[in-house]
Amino acid sequence: MPLVNFSNLDFDQIRESIKSYLRSNSNFTDYDFEGSNLSTIIDTLAYNTYISSYNANMATNEVFIDSATLRENVVSLARNIGYLPRSRKSATANVSFSVDVLGTTSSTVTLKAGTAFVSSRTFGSESYIFSVPDDITVPVDSTGSANFFNIDIHEGVYVKNTYTVNSRTPNQKYIIPNGGCDTSLIRVVVKKSQRATQSGTSEKFVQYDNLYDIGPTSPIYFVEEIDSERYELLFGDGIFGKKLEEPNFVEISYISSKGESGNSISSFTFSGTLRDNNDNAITSGISLITTNSQSHGGKSIESVESIKKYAPRIYAAQNRAVTSSDYEALIPQIYPESESVSAFGGEELTPPQYGKVIISIKPYNGVYLSSRIKNNILLELRKYSVAGIVPQIIDLKYLYLELDSKIYYNTNLAQSPSHVNDIVLQNITNYSNSSDLNKFGARFKYSKYLNIIDNSNNSITSNITTVNIRRDMVASLNQFAEYEICFGNRFYLKNHGHTAEYQGTIVGYNIKSSGFTVSGISGTVYLGDIANHDLKTGSIFLFKLNSPTEAVIVKKSIGVIDYIKGEIKLNPIKILSTSINKDVPLIEISATPYSNDVIGLQDLYLQLDVSSTTISMISDQIESGDDISGTNYKVSSSYTNGSLVRGTPVVVQPTQLETTSTTTTTSPTTTATTTSSTTTTTQTSQTTQTTPTTTMVNSNNGSTTSSSTYTY
Amino acid sequence: MPLERVSQGFKDISATFQISPINSDLISLKNSNAIARSIRNLIFTVPGDKPFQPTVGSRVSELLFENFDGLTATSIRSEIENTIKEYEPRVELKKVTVEPDFDNYEFNVVIQYIIVGIDVPVQQLTFILEPTR
Repeated sequence: MPLVNFSNLDFDQIRESIKSYLRSNSNFTDYDFEGSNLSTIIDTLAYNTYISSYNANMATNEVFIDSATLRENVVSLARNIGYLPRSRKSATANVSFSVDVLGTTSSTVTLKAGTAFVSSRTFGSESYIFSVPDDITVPVDSTGSANFFNIDIHEGVYVKNTYTVNSRTPNQKYIIPNGGCDTSLIRVVVKKSQRATQSGTSEKFVQYDNLYDIGPTSPIYFVEEIDSERYELLFGDGIFGKKLEEPNFVEISYISSKGESGNSISSFTFSGTLRDNNDNAITSGISLITTNSQSHGGKSIESVESIKKYAPRIYAAQNRAVTSSDYEALIPQIYPESESVSAFGGEELTPPQYGKVIISIKPYNGVYLSSRIKNNILLELRKYSVAGIVPQIIDLKYLYLELDSKIYYNTNLAQSPSHVNDIVLQNITNYSNSSDLNKFGARFKYSKYLNIIDNSNNSITSNITTVNIRRDMVASLNQFAEYEICFGNRFYLKNHGHTAEYQGTIVGYNIKSSGFTVSGISGTVYLGDIANHDLKTGSIFLFKLNSPTEAVIVKKSIGVIDYIKGEIKLNPIKILSTSINKDVPLIEISATPYSNDVIGLQDLYLQLDVSSTTISMISDQIESGDDISGTNYKVSSSYTNGSLVRGTPVVVQPTQLETTSTTTTTSPTTTATTTSSTTTTTQTSQTTQTTPTTTMVNSNNGSTTSSSTYTY
Repeated sequence: MPLERVSQGFKDISATFQISPINSDLISLKNSNAIARSIRNLIFTVPGDKPFQPTVGSRVSELLFENFDGLTATSIRSEIENTIKEYEPRVELKKVTVEPDFDNYEFNVVIQYIIVGIDVPVQQLTFILEPTR
């Protein structure tokens, strides 16, 4: 039998194939016994083959950007397509201070490049140094004060390296020896010689990343990442960029940063160098430091995964933003703090907006982008723009997942219920932070989630998890406004029927909302829904709570709901206040999805809300042997709870109820005709279908003339 | 060409790699010789020597650096017994004696076994164990 299997990478498989060969081709028989000499020879041969295959496999893997694992190789492959991985980013803060030089002859004051500030507060007994990469000079005003307003300071140590150009050194390299350098803060000055001091003998070189507009005398340099996250500077050759000549003296200054650990520092003390126009040092009269914005934007070096993802896309974009994927590739370059970017053409909107590209960006820290950052991004995008495409950055729309897990565990195997609970919570938090969810177009995979819980601890015997989806509607207070909330997922109709109550069971109330107050109705109201005959759409009403389980409808048909599309539209409504206020007044609306696998459609960003996710530990007495017959087994419902509203129910006072009950009783008069036609018999069931006419009038009357529309 | 008849006995290659003067081929070890060689190999293999098989071998080499006494001799004996039982299915172990020779600082090892499936008398393998550096 010939040796045919060349693809074996496992030592035992290789060994087995050599044995099979010997079995049919050799006079020797002792290959099967570990002690034999033949076995030693087989081992040697197999080991040799194994090492060769391993090396071949590794070497081949490292040749392609998709399969390479070593950073140097990925960076090198990305370099071939003109991609420079993003360096570590230094956190930037904005501060102001002034220097009192009254009584001196100073006309200007200069803050020299270098260390300027130290963080007053220490984090984990570590203080952070903030530096400025360039000299900053300000004039002294009539009051003898030099004001440094809005200066950007960068976290990290300012370092300067110098090199003398030597023609006798072939392939002289200009390598920044420190890791952690922020390439955007590199400054390069080339002097004619080390001792040249007169003006005009030094020249500032600027960083370039392409060959456009470069001539033989352009003072430019390129940056390349080399091993160990260090950088090399490449200067021109006299054709593309100015060539360095002996005895030129190169001064490379940069800031070596700690990356994201330098973020969120807001308190600084001055430790820089100030000099006046006569080059005298100024050490007194420095005011307290005002922090205009705390440090932000610090970020670690681009990861290997990110390079693999973006290098081909940036190459495909060719410095032009045309297709939506070009925007998705370019924006993380412009704004490194973006965790995830989604862009889609305006033609996909309803109604279509041709020529527009809609972009939503999820920043690493926080939820929304400030308008200043949005404008900056749009400004930067102009460099890549082409005619006829208008980019527009919109706020993210979050679709929150709320999960309720009842976890059965075997008490014999668990250290304590809280211990198991902690492990599960930790795993859920990890999952919520994973890239499975934190991206546009993400899908929550129900079965995977159940698996995560089940595999968290060997004491867990099963779990029953229910899924809810939630969106937060920002209420525009004290004005009539229409609202549209899209969930992008079909709703499940838990309670459907055509009357508010059927055979003693409440129907409708498929959605739940947090409380709010509206104009014209006293007390806290909630949103409820009732399905139409087609069970595809329904209408929205407002209700109050007589008791946590008894609802009183106070206003009908204030909007419509589409269960298939997962959309809620509210007619103009004047909201006065909301029970939930997270910097902005919010109404939380939740529903049960039709499918437990929830997707983040288009611009919806799926987030697992760990704070609203509940875990209950239930002892599995059958498994632990305490109750083998299962007589006392605690049954958990696989469906969501019966609460009518979100949060703590606010029950209305009886006095308020009386007034509201009049509102309710007025409607049956108009309803009566239609309810009879639908042959509904019970008197209590005269509600939904026809009342729209009455209440629609109310709401339309109420809307008056000016109302805004908010789409969420 | 007729098929060559392959012997059903045990046949191993010789580790000396010497050429047989008769047929100019490698010297081969057969049956009892092959098994005796295999047992010696197993005993002198330090666990971890064989790639990806960390349990094959015996700790005898290690035990030779323990105190030179009857206790160590017993440990060596049980180590030899276990190794042969575990990794040499061709023999049925009869007796292992390890006697310390206090004058020469060496252990005299005698292993008696019968070969399973071959009609031969009880085999005896004798060798001396002494630590070398």
